[in-house]
Amino acid sequence: MTVWQRARGRSAPWFLLPALALLAVFVVWPLLRAGWWSFTNADLLSPERSQGVGLANYADLAGDGRFRRAFGNTWLFALLVVPLQTVGAFFLALWVNRPEPAWRWLRAVFFVPVVVAMPVLAVLWTLLYQPAQGGEMGPVNAALAVFGVPPQAWLRDPTLALPAIAFMSIWQGVGLQMMVFLAGLQGVSKELLDAARIDGAGAWQRVWNVVIPAMRNTIIFVVTVTTILAFRIFVQPYLMTRGGPGNSTLSLIQSVYEMTFISQDLGRACAAAMAFLLLVGGLTWLQRRLLKEERE
Amino acid sequence: MKRNGTKFVTTDRPDGQELREKGGPLAGARGYGAWIVSMGVAVVFLSPLLWMLAASLREEASIFQGGWLGADGWTLQNYADAWRRAALGRALLNSALQVLVIGGGGLLVNAMAAYAFARLEFRGREWLFAAVVMLIVLPVEVLAVPMFFTVRDLGLTGGYGAAMAGLTVPFLAKAFNIYFLRQHFLTVPAALEEAAVMDGAGPWRLFWNVALPSIKPALATVVVLDLLTHWGDFLWPLMIATREETRTVQLSLANLFTQPPVQWGDILACAVLATLPVMLFFRWFQRYVVATDARAGIK
Repeated sequence: MTVWQRARGRSAPWFLLPALALLAVFVVWPLLRAGWWSFTNADLLSPERSQGVGLANYADLAGDGRFRRAFGNTWLFALLVVPLQTVGAFFLALWVNRPEPAWRWLRAVFFVPVVVAMPVLAVLWTLLYQPAQGGEMGPVNAALAVFGVPPQAWLRDPTLALPAIAFMSIWQGVGLQMMVFLAGLQGVSKELLDAARIDGAGAWQRVWNVVIPAMRNTIIFVVTVTTILAFRIFVQPYLMTRGGPGNSTLSLIQSVYEMTFISQDLGRACAAAMAFLLLVGGLTWLQRRLLKEERE
Repeated sequence: MKRNGTKFVTTDRPDGQELREKGGPLAGARGYGAWIVSMGVAVVFLSPLLWMLAASLREEASIFQGGWLGADGWTLQNYADAWRRAALGRALLNSALQVLVIGGGGLLVNAMAAYAFARLEFRGREWLFAAVVMLIVLPVEVLAVPMFFTVRDLGLTGGYGAAMAGLTVPFLAKAFNIYFLRQHFLTVPAALEEAAVMDGAGPWRLFWNVALPSIKPALATVVVLDLLTHWGDFLWPLMIATREETRTVQLSLANLFTQPPVQWGDILACAVLATLPVMLFFRWFQRYVVATDARAGIK
């Protein structure tokens, strides 16, 4: 820090003011208000005229069957998506890790669904998953019929709907995690890989004993980010199934949205949002801890 | 990497590489095998989007029927119908306005704050920055409900101007973008600025003429991420843009999708039209983005 930098410090407030004011008004203030409302009986139309109810909203949530279902669904979705997407992205990254310019198109292919907006993909996959009806069926069923699989009512079957949405979500997001893994792969020591090859390690052994340990931080990063993204699922079930059939795809975000705008119980909705934040905050804390251990 | 890609490979993987290089990067049986497998996987992977494009050009009755190879059943009518029924002209304009305001305005606001955190000395800088970093993990979906009340209290819902402000202003400042740009400002050599100080440049000119141009790839990355994110926004516009004239593209698509009569061809055409602008933009803007920036969040 030099003298001239310190002298310029007087202009700092002007540089900071726009961003910090916006963050204060649109992030910090709503957060504080939500925290406050979660302990009151605030309703949608007149949140100002609310009375404190202590922890009642949180207790109600624990006994709210619909919210618990949404909570369970979101966990199940994360448990389906995170391992499959992480493993898939890892192997895709190994496969597309070809620095020759002639291979650059391959990376781009897997990144295409990341660029397309999620509502578009949700609508598209609803059509792809169309059940058989009057001699017509969606392309997914038509493709599976080639292998002798009978047509399924993907999004209308309570046991299939969530896995079907998970599959589509993995397809959409795998390219993004692949890019992160690809960046991580560039940090794996080439000397170590060559040494392992000379010692007679096969491709699998090199991946397992050299690449994976070297990419520990990248893997932790991808797993936590994918988990947080999976918990934030909303658009796909909202457009594809409206949370049905029989609440089998109801997401946490949709349940918060409905508590606010349909049952107009703002206090409980804010309590749910706070619980959600704690969950995401906990995951982030876990990530930081794991990454720190590595650095020490 | 683009220019010296081949050289890069030669030094890193000497075995077999020379052989492949002589006949181009893909010479040799292994190269062709990998090429064929990759082509197959790529076609299967992209088949949903290819189907979307092809089916949007089919007559309604023949979308879910087989026998696409003939010349019958192709039409552009879906596009005309979708354009009219979903008021896509207006919706595309709204979405474009939304992402341009967020992308451009947000860039300025966040870069200014990032510059102060990276380059200006003031009291409380460290803890203020730590506070901003803590905001990164807050997911917008969770904050949407309390944010909605703040925006409503400020009068940013209702009419066209108000709703467009409500769609954009809350997302101008982003904790992650401030953090990301600060990391890049830190890598700008101080000597560059010192030279400008000798010429009598003030803080604003140092920021605008020296620091900003030095981190162009980072700026492009932030703009691309913002544009992709907000072009696909759904929950927030669902709450804010409730009038027909304020609808964004995604809302128009959802509306077409849920309001009877359901016409699959129109829906698919609308989906294609909602996708083309980002695809073209991404294709064009990609070159300014540094691929390694994907790693910036890891360390």
